[in-house]
Amino acid sequence: MKREIPLFITFITGVLLVIALFIPHKPFGQLQQTFNDWLIIVGGFTMILGLDSLLLHNWEKIKRKKEGWISSAFLIASFFITLFWGFGEGIFAHRSPFDPSATFLRYFYTYVFVPLQATMFSLLAFFIASAAYRAFRAKDGNSTLLLSAAALVMLGRVPEGQKVAPWIFAFVLILLAYYFFKEGSRTSGTQKTVYMVLGVLSIALIYPVFYILLHYLNYIADWIMNIPQMAAKRGIWIGISLGGIAMSLRIILGVEKTYLQ
Amino acid sequence: MGFLLPILLFLYSPPENVKAFDTPDDGGGSITVTWTLPQEDSEAIRYDIYRYTSATDSGILAGSVLRGINTFQDIGVKDGVEYRYKVAVVYPDTVLFSAFSSVAVAKAQWFNKKTKAALFILLFYGIVLFWFTEEAKKGRRTYIRKIAGLEAVEEAVGRSTELGKPILFVPGIGLISDITTIAALSILKRVAKKAAEYESRVIVPNFDPIVMVAAQETVKEGYTEAGRPDLYNEKDIFFLTSDQFGYAAGVDGMMMREKPGAIFLQGTFYAEALILAETGHSVGAIQISGTTSVTQLPFFIAATDYTLIGEEMYAASAYLSKDPLMLGTIKGEDLMKLIFIVTIIAGVILETFGIHLISNWFSIF
Amino acid sequence: MREFLQKAGNIDRRIIYLLILSAVAITILLKVSFKSTPLPEVKRSYDIINSLPAGSVVMFSIDYDASSMPELDPMLRAMLRHCFEKNLKVIMLGHWPLGLPLGQIALEDIARQYHKKYGEDYVFLGYRPGLQAVMLNLGKEIRSVFSTDYRGTPIDSLPMMRGVHNYNDIAVLIGLEAGSVGDMWVQFANARFNQKIILGSTAVITPDLYPYLQAGQIVGLIGGLRGASDYEALVKHPAIASAGMASQTVVHVLIILLILLGNIGYFATRRGK
Repeated sequence: MKREIPLFITFITGVLLVIALFIPHKPFGQLQQTFNDWLIIVGGFTMILGLDSLLLHNWEKIKRKKEGWISSAFLIASFFITLFWGFGEGIFAHRSPFDPSATFLRYFYTYVFVPLQATMFSLLAFFIASAAYRAFRAKDGNSTLLLSAAALVMLGRVPEGQKVAPWIFAFVLILLAYYFFKEGSRTSGTQKTVYMVLGVLSIALIYPVFYILLHYLNYIADWIMNIPQMAAKRGIWIGISLGGIAMSLRIILGVEKTYLQ
Repeated sequence: MGFLLPILLFLYSPPENVKAFDTPDDGGGSITVTWTLPQEDSEAIRYDIYRYTSATDSGILAGSVLRGINTFQDIGVKDGVEYRYKVAVVYPDTVLFSAFSSVAVAKAQWFNKKTKAALFILLFYGIVLFWFTEEAKKGRRTYIRKIAGLEAVEEAVGRSTELGKPILFVPGIGLISDITTIAALSILKRVAKKAAEYESRVIVPNFDPIVMVAAQETVKEGYTEAGRPDLYNEKDIFFLTSDQFGYAAGVDGMMMREKPGAIFLQGTFYAEALILAETGHSVGAIQISGTTSVTQLPFFIAATDYTLIGEEMYAASAYLSKDPLMLGTIKGEDLMKLIFIVTIIAGVILETFGIHLISNWFSIF
Repeated sequence: MREFLQKAGNIDRRIIYLLILSAVAITILLKVSFKSTPLPEVKRSYDIINSLPAGSVVMFSIDYDASSMPELDPMLRAMLRHCFEKNLKVIMLGHWPLGLPLGQIALEDIARQYHKKYGEDYVFLGYRPGLQAVMLNLGKEIRSVFSTDYRGTPIDSLPMMRGVHNYNDIAVLIGLEAGSVGDMWVQFANARFNQKIILGSTAVITPDLYPYLQAGQIVGLIGGLRGASDYEALVKHPAIASAGMASQTVVHVLIILLILLGNIGYFATRRGK
């Protein structure tokens, strides 16, 4: 029975909500909103569970002096300071902690919370650089295409990018030409011819690529974002939606039970 | 100004052809009013829509819209009551009323005709899935291609055990109502079962308390199925915080301190995805990620060793359990995708020649 | 030479972080600025607000928090300036409770600069839980969700709100998005109530919102710091976003050069083997 009751509830709720999508008449039309409201109410109460887990987990670390227990002490202290400071505004100053005149807003939110959040988000700038440096290698055709598209969009979306991009791509073509000529000099026969032709082609493309990027980089970046990028994204979305429907049907029909005990 | 009134009336005109009708495909309590815009619309300030019941002569202002708009939905009406409307155009110096509209009565509809395409697709998809699961029950073998990320689960858990380090499973910042979180929990169960077999520890920091409770039950079940319920430690599955970057900071701290051998980043992620993935890479862990957040997939692909892209996450449960019924639904999904591809290609060809058959039929909402 | 190139393909990530930090800091400290042509979707957003008659009501939804503030706060401030210059009425609410104070701070700051009065020219409604329920109920009657403003003042006592009942009375809804709330605005406010929507978003989620722009479900899109700086240029008040764009250009070029260096090192290593 421990499993059967939740499965039954899942089945009934799932079927009702699917039907409600197609029937606007009462009571079906209101079902989605009603269930959302219930989820919010239940979610509010489960926060108590979460707080219990958080505080106990960190208190345990402090008690046993595990590695990093000082961070846990800071966490518990910050938790109670925030809680009492916020409540204090309401009890002693009779105003919301987010009132423009509240000390909580002025000191804690503006000078602690906002900078901390902004700092965490700003880590992305550094991590994107290191991830791109490590991952964007022209190992094969696909990765070269990815790398080129990323470079075009990155430079096409910033001011003055149009002036810098031609020089970078021209330099890349020169390097490519050097590479092809070097490889050609080490080989012979048809392979040598191919390398030489590729080298000459690289040199020949310098001026056209330079001109096109100088005048049309913005349009190229927009085209990449609006057409191939969007097409790929839509394809992934269709796959995710179909997978989501199949997964939902498995859950509603009780085929998928891994989330239950 | 009074002497100007006849001149203004001559220059300006009221709205015409005012029509009122029950708003179609809704749950009742709504009437839609439309009218033809006067020629002087560009000089109008707004349109006021007045509602009249047949029992009274005085009108109630139902609402207003800005110039250029010739439709209004009145959502303050009762079902079964007759209403009539007048539309007044407000010009800088005068207000002109239209004639009465026809009588309209609001009522609820039992079927939203705009969703007929969605209903057809859902029923068709349901039949396809049902057919494939029936075939699976009859014992028909189902081929699923190898998914590198899922094949690597055993390798990741084994590596962690060899190094004597714990496994970190990050279920993302989705709620339990997200299908992606449920898919992540089904992967968690397999990981927990494998970890129990290798006598490894699984740490699961959670963003949501309900997900935490579900994760605790899932890991317990995994350890029990492997025959090692004694190794289960409830304290390793805990709530961290419901703040996005607070969660990222907490998990990062855990990665730096615990130095896990394997990190699973499975679930819904937003901007914190790369922060987690890069920190995981810096501690030298093998990382298997999976998400349906399309904007974060490029970061995971760049920064982690294996990535489950979108629906591969949903297929994980079926793939890892090898359950015939679940594998049958994956086949059904693939057939639907093929049908979509053919429909899109056919639609593109027809649209190129100006035939809007398919696009008209699929205008849903 | 080959050894040097191979090392170039394996630069310690801390050196990369230092280079990025230097690039950003030096550009900002030297107050470098670059001009750019506003993107068409940003120009469109500007034109729509510009075409509204004085007294029209514009609703802002603050759906971000401090982590996305660097991109969205400049956008918000530029748009508020535009609204107050055009004597439009502003209503502000939001669905991210931790981000709403940021919106409030910006609103009060810009309103003070334009000598606007609370209750007559702008109103701050605050936050109500419910998300979809709030969006749906705003389409029927604002008072069913917000009977009072954030201070507890009944909104009927605010002169500006007397004629404002639902989306019919709101000329444009501007959602400032860092997550998925923008999709919900389109799904509920536009699809069901035909509300005109302009979305401002972080650069990461902007590509997700282009389908809505192409389908006409939103009428304008302002993406990332670039969008914010374009809007600042259009309202002729360059501020923090315009200053940030220069460092963004420098960092993008630096990342491309690092990728190039990495590839040179990769090919040098490959040839060595």
